[in-house]
This record gives sequence, structure tokens and C-alpha cells, in this order.
Amino acid sequence: MLWNNIVIAIRNLRKNKVFAAINISGLALGLTIYVFGGLLVEYEESHDQGFKNTPYTYTIGSVASPMLDVGVDRFNAVFMAVGPIIAAESPDIAAVARTRGIEYLVSTGIESFYENIRFADPEFLQIFDFEYLYGDADALLDPTGILFTESMAIKHFGKTDVLGETVSFDNEFDFHVAAVIKDVAANTHFHSILSDTGLGVVAPVRALNRLRDYDADAGDWNNLSFGDITYVMLPESLDQAWLQSQMNSIYERLVPDSQKEVISAFEVNRLQDANTAVWDMIGLPVIGVVSLLSLMILIIACVNYTNLATAQSLGRSREVGMRKTMGATQRQLLLQFLTESLVIATIAMVIAIAALEVIIPLFNNATDKIMTLDYLKTLPWLLLTTALVGLCAGLYPAWLITRTNPIEALRDTARKGRKSSKVRSVMIGAQFAISAFMLALVTIVFMQNDRVKEGSYIFPRSEIYTIDRLRVEGISDKLPTLRRELEALLNVDSVAYSSQVPFEQNNSQLGVSLQPGDDAGEFVLMNMRMSPEFLDAYDIPIIAGRNLGEEVSNDKQTDDDTTALNVLVNELALPLFGVTRAVDAVNKRFYSTDDDDGTSREFIVVGVVPTQNIVGLFNREKPWMYQYVPESFRIGSVRITGGNIMDTVENIEDIWNRVIPDYPIQGRFLDDVFEDVYQILRLMNAALAGFAFVALSLALIGLFGLAAFMAAQRTKEIGVRKVLGASSLQIARLLVWQFSTPVLWALLVALPAAYFGSRTYLNFFADRIESPLPILIAAGLVAVLLAWATIAGHAIRIASSNPITALRYE
Amino acid sequence: MLKLHNMYKIYQTDEVETIALNGVNLEIAQGDFVAIMGPSGCGKSTLLNIIGMLDNPSEGDYFFFDENIAGYNESQRAEIRKQNIGFIFQSFNLIEELTVAENIELALLYHNMPSAERKKRVNSVMDRMGIAHRANHMPGQLSGGQQQRVAVARAVVGDQPLILADEPTGNLDSVHGQEVMELLRSLNKEGTTIVMVTHSPAHADYAHRRVNLFDGHIVTENTRAA
Ligand SMILES: Nc1ncnc2c1ncn2[C@@H]1O[C@H](COP(=O)(O)OP(=O)(O)OP(=O)(O)O)[C@@H](O)[C@H]1O
Ligand SMILES: [Mg+2]
Repeated sequence: MLWNNIVIAIRNLRKNKVFAAINISGLALGLTIYVFGGLLVEYEESHDQGFKNTPYTYTIGSVASPMLDVGVDRFNAVFMAVGPIIAAESPDIAAVARTRGIEYLVSTGIESFYENIRFADPEFLQIFDFEYLYGDADALLDPTGILFTESMAIKHFGKTDVLGETVSFDNEFDFHVAAVIKDVAANTHFHSILSDTGLGVVAPVRALNRLRDYDADAGDWNNLSFGDITYVMLPESLDQAWLQSQMNSIYERLVPDSQKEVISAFEVNRLQDANTAVWDMIGLPVIGVVSLLSLMILIIACVNYTNLATAQSLGRSREVGMRKTMGATQRQLLLQFLTESLVIATIAMVIAIAALEVIIPLFNNATDKIMTLDYLKTLPWLLLTTALVGLCAGLYPAWLITRTNPIEALRDTARKGRKSSKVRSVMIGAQFAISAFMLALVTIVFMQNDRVKEGSYIFPRSEIYTIDRLRVEGISDKLPTLRRELEALLNVDSVAYSSQVPFEQNNSQLGVSLQPGDDAGEFVLMNMRMSPEFLDAYDIPIIAGRNLGEEVSNDKQTDDDTTALNVLVNELALPLFGVTRAVDAVNKRFYSTDDDDGTSREFIVVGVVPTQNIVGLFNREKPWMYQYVPESFRIGSVRITGGNIMDTVENIEDIWNRVIPDYPIQGRFLDDVFEDVYQILRLMNAALAGFAFVALSLALIGLFGLAAFMAAQRTKEIGVRKVLGASSLQIARLLVWQFSTPVLWALLVALPAAYFGSRTYLNFFADRIESPLPILIAAGLVAVLLAWATIAGHAIRIASSNPITALRYE
Repeated sequence: MLKLHNMYKIYQTDEVETIALNGVNLEIAQGDFVAIMGPSGCGKSTLLNIIGMLDNPSEGDYFFFDENIAGYNESQRAEIRKQNIGFIFQSFNLIEELTVAENIELALLYHNMPSAERKKRVNSVMDRMGIAHRANHMPGQLSGGQQQRVAVARAVVGDQPLILADEPTGNLDSVHGQEVMELLRSLNKEGTTIVMVTHSPAHADYAHRRVNLFDGHIVTENTRAA
């Protein structure tokens, strides 16, 4: 019986090849996206499974308080001071390891490369059971020991057998290789989106004592960086809740008040979630959205199938009538039709899997992931999906057609046609609602991203060549020479040094007050350290007062000088002084209080600049202060105008190599600094656009199939209408309108939904597009126009056909 | 009312060329009741379709109220057709998704008539045809005879002066067939010109004139005293 049904099903598919192709391809597309989305989410959420301690390991995160205001909700990081406290308070804990990433120039004496060094406590190697090629897990006990991964060793030494070899950091500090491990797999949190450098070189935290005079055992309460994870491994007897309560207690008792203002709590996360923590951090539920969107696509595809199958089943009511007359029960017929949809779902799934076998390797290649389609593991899920899709999509048409008694089935298709056409309209509407929703969303995201990009052009992005990593002893004393030589270049306008350049996500803040000794922190200024040329290089005008310079001694911070420092502020800082005109702020004084020793520092405003969003991207404009502090110079900005830019860059490199031969130049355009962060937005937009495209294509395929079917069904009716005097235009309008109503209803639902959906994204930005309303309307319009274009062909063809051909073959 | 002069209709298919109408001359006066008869395939429907302006002749002239419409295009013909001609088909050609009343109303839908006026005329014609109690039924729920009455109602509701009927009784039993013929006769008495194709000599007897077609020629014409 079952086999018989399958044979009939396949025969039926071959009879209606076009419709079968449309049905199957739609379903296959939906399944491909759904399965891919599922695999991707599963992949992202099941990182680090290769480490044996993953189930017992947690990471400590910090919840940002609104005070912090850096566009981030939570960090998967804590202050370095926290790790030792955890270990000291609870001897039961198996291991605690802090890590911190810092870039150093690593040289073997022959070759030098800048590397992001992961400084870690020795327990790091207890928690993670790496595979050792040479050395062992004690490698970090010696503060001069250092661990290389296999590929890092090959990069620096050309071989892996490098135990005991010496390397230097910044040409100054020597280390010896104490271990070489196999490369860490791509599906670990070491390769998550914000730290895709992976794990290359690991050095002991304690080495920071020597490298930067840092008290590694005590840590600090000042620095909070994204990649700096503190791991805690618990014994089997303790769980996450216990650790959380420990952390709450530590927060209450031991976090300094000044830090409680910016960090409102500690939170314990499973190591397993560390890979996706970046999305929690910025508050965008990307993983959830991917799941939701791929499910939506599958639903569209199912609805699509249901819709077409329902329409086509009407044409088979005669067949059903005959079968019933000959004694088939409704159950048998139901089974027959369900078998048919299951067969289609199975074919579609096979096609989807074949497609994934092609797509996944390409995707892996493009993204450095190692996703696999593990049949053994996913088989139950794939089978269940296939069965559910087959049943859900096929149930309605099967029920509809087998429900009637035989006479009705043979004769009266009318009422059924009318009722099911309503259901079909609703289903078309649902498809369009989802795709219009996605289309609108993707457009809003695109426009918002575009605004972010437009906003970034206030800085001469493509004309600034930045040179990073200047804050090294061997370099900083050569900066004046470097500037002189660079400025002599033909196409170089100006050369400035600063603590940061636009778009870098650094938030150096200083709490200030108008009276010395007042509770500092009431007014928070962003703190830019720069040389006076900065204004020149970035075209920042002075709107009141004067620029900082070399002539006035208090303009420039030198060594331990603590007398009043002259500074510039931007217009947003004016409220601090209670003035509204820029000129009134000049010569105003304000103070910051040092938390450690209670001394306050005096600042005098000598100039005011317009407000610019220096950190840019998600952040809002903030009050800034500009100080001339050579000690803090970290990055240079070379403004290039005219000439062949690439030649100029070459000249810059030549000069660098001559002036600072010991260190390779770390240069790139400001454009690239911006792209660094912007690419995440662009990536999300592209993914969203992909989903929207697929959803819309599916809806259009469905509409096309349905229009073709309806056109065939209605030839007689159209013939009658024409005989009765309807013009071709009226007929075309009738058909277009019939398909437009559900689309318009869909927009009525989808556009408000998209409006609210987009707010999640827009809220993420300080500088938002004014009103997404026109965009929503435009997206809706596009959906309608596409729908019209899809059905217009059919509508015009049957509207202009000769009525007697239609009536003749009744 | 209308005059066909030397009318040819040639169907060109892949291999064969069918001459469906072979030099037909026919004149029909206002108020006439004409029956067209002949063996299957002789060109009756073709002739009726051309008279009904659903199709263009290959050659020849067609004067409708002294206007030669032979070369008119589809939309010009549609305009004249709409004002002047009602149709009845052998297979009823009712739209199954519409109720009886809606089917009838369809004939007025394309005449720029206010909705209230349409409803009024539909109701009055349903009364006249004795199908008022079926107004909200679907065609599928009616018998063949009832369906054909609906079709007749649809043909006359527009008050067009000419009604073309292609085997209107072909699908009906003799009782229902007779009913429809009575309806047509009374319409003709009220002044409507009727051209009807039929295979039944008995039903042809209702007409004033009988035109016999054979292989695309008119072979005989008999006129019966009214
Ligand atoms: N669209 C067409 N293409 C080709 N040949 C056609 C077409 N329509 C009609 N014919 C041919 O023209 C001839 C006349 O057809 P027509 O339909 O007018 O016959 P009829 O007299 O109405 O026959 P019946 O009594 O069976 O309805 C037939 O031979 C038919 O095959
Ligand atoms: Mg015929």
C-alpha cells in the first residue's frame, strides 16, 4: 500500500513537471536555509567542546552601568584584580586563570612580527588541555617561559622543534620557548568574532612585571578590555549558581566605589557561551535572530508549498471523486496525498543536503570556520524536519480534497474553490508579510549603516595614513625626527601624534568638577592626548581661543609637572562651565581628582573646537578634552593630499625604516580603522539581505506558480466576462487586484512589525536615521511592485486572449 | 439589422486548411427569429461567433446597423458587442464561484451602471425567469434547466437588441428545452432579435426563419409565416 502510494506520488510529480519543479525547488530552498541556519547556530553555540574541562569552566563577566556609556551592555571580562581575589577566597576552586592580550614585536633575532600576545596565569594550561608537541603544562610557571602554537613556531622559526629558543619582545625583553602546542581548533572561543587572531603566543601574566612594571599578582581596577577573559574551573561538586553568589559577594565587599559606578555587577557565564558572548556584549541578539529568520524562511517555503498544492489539488477533485466512487476511504486518500507531500519533502531535503555539501565548504573557506554536516548526529533532526515539513505542508490540501463526498467531489468544486481561495489569499499574505518584514528591516539596517558611514566622512578618512604602536621606548624619542622628515615629503600636509584616532573604540574618560576637591565624576570628559598638529591633520577649526602650541610652557605636559595644564575642549563641554557661547569658556578652570592620593589636577581652557564624534560608529557625541601629552602618544596620523597616494605611502615607509630601523612600521589608512568595526555591521546587513532575498524569492515563486495555476483555472470565467463586455484592461486589473489584496494586507501587518523590529537595531546607535517611515513605505512599495511584475505576465496573457478559445474547450 | 456579404472563415492549422465558412451571404432584420441548422462541423458556431463579433472573418463584409465592422479590432468590436448582443451557450458557461444573482449581474458590470440600478434589473429579470428563489445558490446546485434559465437571464438583463444562442437546448431534456424555447419566443415577441443554432427541428420550428448550412455554404432558407 505504502509503496503503491509512493509510486503514484512519483507518477503524479512526473505528470505535472512544472508545478512539481516549483514545489520542490521552493521547499528545497527553504530547507537549505533552515538546515544551514540550524547548523550555523549549533556550530557557534557548541564551541570549545574539544577541551575536557569545558563543562566545569566558567568565565567572569562585567555588566556595564549606564554611567559607562560606551555603547556596550556587558563585557565578558573583569578587572585583573578580581582573579586573585576569587582564588584567595575559595580554596575549593580548581583553578583560576586571568588572561590579557597585548601586542608586542616578537623577534627571533632574524625576523620580527607584531603578535597579539596572550598573557595568562599558569593555571590557564591546567584548564585547557592543549596537545603538547614539546614541553608541558608547566610552561608558564617560569616568568620568562613562553608558549608557541605550531603554526606560530613555523612562522617565526621555520620549524616546530624550538624548545629553549630565545625570542625578544619589543627588542628589549627576552623569553625562552617553554612549550609548543598543536594549533587550537577554529571552533573554540579563541577564534570568536572579535578576537579572530586565535591563540598564537602565550606568555605568563607575571612577565608584565618586567615588561611594563605592572603588579601582576595584585592586578588592577582600571582596565577592562573585551578579550581579557578570566576563567574559573570548578570541581564537580560546585556549580554556576554557587560561583555567581561568590561573585556577588566579592562585588559587594571588594570592588572600589569608583568602579561600582561603571560596573553594576559581575556575572558568571559558561565557557561554552564565550564564543557568542560578543553579541550579548553589544546587545544584539544575532544568534537568536539567525534561528528565527531561518525558521521564518522554512515557514514561508512550507506555506508556499501548501498554497500551490491546494490550488493544484482542486484540479484533481475529479480524480478523487472517481477513487471514492470506486470505494477508497477518506483515510486511504488522505494517506495517498500525505505520502505525496512526504515524497516531495524528501526529494527537497535530498536536494538541500546536496546543496549544503557544496555551500558549507565554500562558507568555511570564506569564514575560516570548520562547520561540518555530521550525518550521524544530525540524522534524527533532518528526518524529523523532513517529516514535519511534509506533514504540515501537505495536510491542508490533503484534508481539503479528501473531505467531500464523492458526488460533490465530482461535481461541485465551486464552494470549495471559494473557501480555499480565501485560505490561499491568507497564505500568500503571510508569505508576503514575512518577506516584506525582512525587506523593510534590511533596508532600515542598510540606511542606518549608511548613516554611520556618512557620519564618518567628517574626518578625511582616505587621506589619513595612521602609524600605530609608537609608545615603545625605542620609538617615542624619535617621534620629532620622524615628524620632521615626514612633513618634508611633497604630498604630506601635516603629521600629528595622539593617544587615539577616530573610530578606535577606546573610551578614556576623566571625571571633572569646577571646584578642586569636589566629588569628581559628576561631569565626565573624554580624554584625547594629542600634538597640536592634530587639529590641522583632521581639519578641526578653532572656534574660540587658540590652539595648543610649543611656545607656552603650560600647553604641554612634561614628565611629572603637576601645575595647571592648558587644554582644548569641544562645544559639548560648555555646560560644565555654565556657558553657552564658546568664547565664554576660554580661560575657565576645572579640576580632576586622582582617586588614589586625593590630589586634584587643574586644567585651563585655552581654546574651543566644534563637537565631533571621535569614537563614532555606535557612540553618541560626547564632551571631549584635548591635552598635549607626548608621553601618551600611541599613534600617528599623516595627512596626505594630492599626488600618488601609494607612492607617498612608500616614501613614508622608507623614512620610517631609516629613522626607526628596529621596528617594522604598523601603518594603515584611517579607512581601514573604520572598516575594522564597520565590517561587523556590514556583515550583519549582508546576512539579513540574504535572508530577505530568499524570503522574497520564495514568495514570488509561490505567487508565480499560483498565478499560473489560477490563470489556467479561470480561462473560462475570463472568457465569459469578455463575452459580456469586459475589456482586456478590466480583466487584467481584476487579476492583478485579486493577488494584490493579500499583499496589501500583508504590508499592513509587516510594516509596523518591521518598524518595531528595527528599533532594536536603531537603539543600538546614538546617531539614528530620522524616521524609518519613508523607508518602510518604500520597501512596501517594492514588495508590491515585485508582486505585480510577477503576476502581470499571466494577467496580460489571459486578459488579451480570444474569448472563444477559452469557451470552446469547456 | 445585420448583413453578411460573401463571408469566408478559413482556419489555418499545421497541415490542414479548414474552410469553415465558404462565401456566406445572410441578412437578418430587426425582430427576426432565425434558426441555423446543419450537420456537425458545417460551420454553425463559427458563423454565430462571427455574428457575435467574438471572431473576425477571414474575408467578406459584415454590416451591423449599416456599419462595416469586418476590419475592426478586438476592443472596437467589444464595445459594439457590449451594447448590442447577448449570448447563450450550450454549456451555460456560468461562473461556478459566483452566485446566480452575481452571474447575472456580471452582464451589467461592464456597462458603467450604478450598483443599485444593477441590483434592480437583476431582481426583475430573475422574477421574470422564475429563478428569484435561487438568487443566492451556486450554479453547481442547480439543475441543467435552471442553469440555462440563469444563462438566459444573463443574456437578456442588459436589454441588448440581439441574442445569439448556440445550441441553447443541447444539454437539456425535452421539457426543459421547451421551457427555454418558450422564453426565447416571448423575448422575440417583445422585439428582441434572436439567432439560434440548434439540431432539433422541433425547436427550429419556434423560429420565423430557418437557415440550413452545409460545409460552410447556406444551402436552403425557409421562411415560415409568423
Ligand atoms: N479554432 C479552430 N481551429 C481550426 N479549425 C477550427 C477551429 N474552430 C472550428 N474549426 C473547424 O471549423 C469547422 C466548423 O466548426 P464549427 O465549430 O463552426 O462547427 P459546428 O457547425 O458548430 O459543429 P457542431 O454542430 O459540432 O457544434 C470544423 O471543421 C472545425 O473543425
Ligand atoms: Mg457548434
